[in-house]
Amino acid sequence: MTITQYPKLDEKVYATVLQNGLTVKVVSRPGFTRKMAYFVTDFGAIHTDFELEDKIYHAPAGIAHFLEHKMFELPGRDVSAEFAALGANVNAFTSYDMTAYHFTCSENFMESLRLLLEFVSTPYFPEESVQREMGIIDQEIGMNEDSPDTRVFEELMKCLYRQHPIRVPILGSRQSLRQITPELLTACHRAFYTPANMILCVVGDVNADEVAALANEVLGTERKPVGRKLRPWQEEMKAERYDCNGWMEVAMPMFQMAFKAEPAPKGAASIRAEIVGDLAAEALFGESSPLYLRLYEEGIIDSSFGGGFESVDDCAMLACGGDSYDATAIREAILERAAQLAEEGIEKADFLRMKRSAMGRRIRDLDSFDSMCFRICAYHFSGFDYFDFPAVYAQVRQEEVLEFLHRVVAKERCALSVIDPKEET
Amino acid sequence: MIETMELRSGVHLYACRDTRFKQGALSIQFVRPMKKEEAACNALLPAVLLRGTEEYPDLRSITLRLDDLYGASVSTLVRRVGDYQTTGLYCSFMEDKFALDGDEILKPMLEFVFALLLDPVMENGGFSESFVESEKKNLISTIEAEKNDKRVYAASQLLKNMCRGDSFGLPRLGEKEDVEKISARSLYAHYRTVLEESPVQIFYVGSADKETVAILLTKQFEKIKRTPQFLPPQTAFSGGEESHVTKVMDVAQAKLCMGFVTPITNRSEDFAAMQVMNTVFGGGMTSKLFMNVREKLSLCYSVGSFYYGTKGVMTVSAGIDDDKEQTARDEILAQLDACRKGNITPEELAAAKEAVLSSLRTVHDSPGAIEGYYATAALSGVTLDLKAYAEAVSAVSTENVAKVAKMLTYHSSFVLKGAGQ
Repeated sequence: MTITQYPKLDEKVYATVLQNGLTVKVVSRPGFTRKMAYFVTDFGAIHTDFELEDKIYHAPAGIAHFLEHKMFELPGRDVSAEFAALGANVNAFTSYDMTAYHFTCSENFMESLRLLLEFVSTPYFPEESVQREMGIIDQEIGMNEDSPDTRVFEELMKCLYRQHPIRVPILGSRQSLRQITPELLTACHRAFYTPANMILCVVGDVNADEVAALANEVLGTERKPVGRKLRPWQEEMKAERYDCNGWMEVAMPMFQMAFKAEPAPKGAASIRAEIVGDLAAEALFGESSPLYLRLYEEGIIDSSFGGGFESVDDCAMLACGGDSYDATAIREAILERAAQLAEEGIEKADFLRMKRSAMGRRIRDLDSFDSMCFRICAYHFSGFDYFDFPAVYAQVRQEEVLEFLHRVVAKERCALSVIDPKEET
Repeated sequence: MIETMELRSGVHLYACRDTRFKQGALSIQFVRPMKKEEAACNALLPAVLLRGTEEYPDLRSITLRLDDLYGASVSTLVRRVGDYQTTGLYCSFMEDKFALDGDEILKPMLEFVFALLLDPVMENGGFSESFVESEKKNLISTIEAEKNDKRVYAASQLLKNMCRGDSFGLPRLGEKEDVEKISARSLYAHYRTVLEESPVQIFYVGSADKETVAILLTKQFEKIKRTPQFLPPQTAFSGGEESHVTKVMDVAQAKLCMGFVTPITNRSEDFAAMQVMNTVFGGGMTSKLFMNVREKLSLCYSVGSFYYGTKGVMTVSAGIDDDKEQTARDEILAQLDACRKGNITPEELAAAKEAVLSSLRTVHDSPGAIEGYYATAALSGVTLDLKAYAEAVSAVSTENVAKVAKMLTYHSSFVLKGAGQ
């Protein structure tokens, strides 16, 4: 177990890699009642194509999320009820590039952790329960179809990307779900729910050695092979389509737009790319930017407007969205302003202030156990120790931000998705 | 622990000194009666204050100031707590110890927040016309955007219909037509009343001690001439005419909301039992509604109940297929009946109690949760002593749960349905 102190953040982290390949990180928080554990696999909705033991798999869209639902079943046991009996609150989510299982509790931490490790590492997919799950996920798809925020984003991804599977909703479709079988679920589990492809991140007043020992005991010491992800897609740095429109029962037109960016590299460069992208967003249309003020005062945007840099395995974008009657004007204004900024540069004092503000917000964010665990895990998979971020802020230069704006905020890289209100019936 | 101090007549500081966090939190709430005549004004006021001060006259200069304070944030705070509505500001800011080169944050932050509160940009004896008009537009879109989330929309339509005639039937942010009527002058007049007459509650969570904060705040409140008016105590919802409404919209999934009334509020002796009952019935993944209506019978995707302790109202929300409405309705009532009969397993009871206790235990683990819990509790007339509350929850028995379940009356419903194919 290595112990690392981060004096700038007043944090102490215990970390180790077990013999089975699992990374364990424990963020020590003495004096807190709440404890949280995230058990996460580097496997998300976009990883449908992979190779395992010389066999190539093309799994149906939505399988990662389906698998997440099905993991909660153990033979003859009720996982949710067992967590509840321990007083722990368990949940899970599937994103484009990872699947996380997590709980919080104030007591019975070790018992809850054992249960978490057990159920996530135990594949159990009886045919009839796989069939039943389809009905439940159909309902969830129905809910997403009624959610304008989800729809506007999913449409945008279809517009922006030609091949990258971020084009496909995380839940898949009613049709793709029907192709999921217990065998495919088992293959995904074998390929990616193996300790060497996972991280266990714990926050709270707990004993790190006991956490690691328990993970060893429940998961075993054998190091199993990890599936090899296939990334057959090739994306040009231009949007597939310029815009798309939909109609829903919304009060006011809403939009999302994004500029396609080069995928972030791995390692320390990954967070640097993200910080550069975020600072570019801040300089371009952040709340303290002249553009934001002008559009707000002209009534073209309102307080719902916001955006930033988004990065998913092998794709990245600068995105913004909100409610507006004139999203096209916003796009024009952003393109114009980016060109101007890239030309004129940012005042030195302004750039320092932006960095200080962004760093302050990241530090404050560490009060949230959830957000901290999420970031630690996500950056771990990109090969970076998240708590090193203050040093990256110190290094980032203005030229990088301007270069990003010049390169990324271009007309041919932009797609716009709008949802307009339906006429009242 | 929370320490309370009256800074001036009607101005209370609640301070929680805690050095474990990266950030401090401060909320300033002016407490108003929840009334149709002023709900929209109270919702609009803080949004206008956040548009500019004498020294920081526009959004950009405000944000730049916040950037200087290491990305501090200030936002509008408009809560409805039973018969009261609060209007004010909420801020979060990094603790001084993380700042570079010995920079201070708390002190300049407090000064800045009070500049926002007390030195608005003025025009012809009122607020700035353009600020007020643009924030009216924003508020109206926020009010209308409720429709975008069908679950929230259905739940609020239920309460609106069910609680006509009670303050609880009024939407938290007021209604569109009331927002439209507000002018820069009328809002300014209301602002003076709010400053001078309202009881004020200030919450601080952070590493500074109570005295330091009190001195900084007292200096600010000396600038206001105060004649505080006190508010009547909270009341329970007394029931009224039932309402059963079905509305058709273009949705893929129908929403069913049911409303129940109980004489038990969070000021009642049986409050802990009612909290536990609500959790056994519809709180979380081990509740009767989730386990039976969703898991066993697959009647819905989402289902849960919510208990509004300040008013004595409980609601159930379910996302269902159009054709399953009646079956879902019957099954929800059947599960309530099981609670009334005391058909509750020891596991169900223990899990519900543990869920309530766990949420109480972790109140002290984030500045936001501390502020949220105590600010709301103080206004709803609940004891601030978490320990006593937790003991009451631990002592709840199956009989207690059955007893309070029997006191619930089914009152109203609201259904949002698709137009069909």
